[in-house]
Amino acid sequence: MKSYLRVRCNKAYLANIRDFVRSRLDELDVHGKTSDQIVLAVDEACANCMIHQHQCDNYSTIEVAIFRENGTLYAEIKDSGKAFPIHTYRPKNLEEIVKLRAKGGLGINLIHRIMDEIKIEETPDYSIYIFGKKLPNSASGIDQT
Amino acid sequence: MEIKEQRHEEYVTLTPVGDLDANSSVVLDEKIQEMLEAGDVHIHIDGSELPYISSAGLGVFVSHLDGIQNVGGSLVISGLNESVQDVFSLLGLDQLLTIVNHSEEAAQMFTKS
Repeated sequence: MKSYLRVRCNKAYLANIRDFVRSRLDELDVHGKTSDQIVLAVDEACANCMIHQHQCDNYSTIEVAIFRENGTLYAEIKDSGKAFPIHTYRPKNLEEIVKLRAKGGLGINLIHRIMDEIKIEETPDYSIYIFGKKLPNSASGIDQT
Repeated sequence: MEIKEQRHEEYVTLTPVGDLDANSSVVLDEKIQEMLEAGDVHIHIDGSELPYISSAGLGVFVSHLDGIQNVGGSLVISGLNESVQDVFSLLGLDQLLTIVNHSEEAAQMFTKS
């Protein structure tokens, strides 16, 4: 059974999400740079949901789960908001962002660079973002959930 | 987020303390904006007390870069830990921004300019 962390769409809770993801990755024996990058990718996706899909509405919530399956680490973000097409979104290039003096536009770029698999499942109630990262030297068949 | 400030003859050092994420980055953004408006255009960011940075933190530096360069100023970042440095490198920002290892190197860059 997946264990979810549910938080309100308030940016103050991003630190709690990072702590939860780090702790789950540690339990799943994922450490170092891989762990740091997955924490970052989940943080970016959650911040995106909170800010753009929920306008930081403190009464909305998102849920995060981290699990491992067949040599791949998965992060799942369950959001009651409308899905943002993160899997097909192509961010602006860096030069353009600098010239525009834009503060945003880098987060989805980071997610694409970090994760090997990005998909969205939509149900009548939720948008579920699923990110996969292939783990080096993982023994398939003995993964934990 | 706490931001320490230290004034030198040629530049100002800002030391953000704590995680620089979508929640806290506005504090650093406003501080840099305030400095630029006051004419302090040579800015050193001491990243030695920065355990974590997300794209919102990167966005603060990227969004001010053009403005700083246009007024003949400079932005130098130093003291990043390996994990934070990796976030800059992932996007190629280490090629776009001036990042050095230590505060002493940053000081030399401002003295030269």
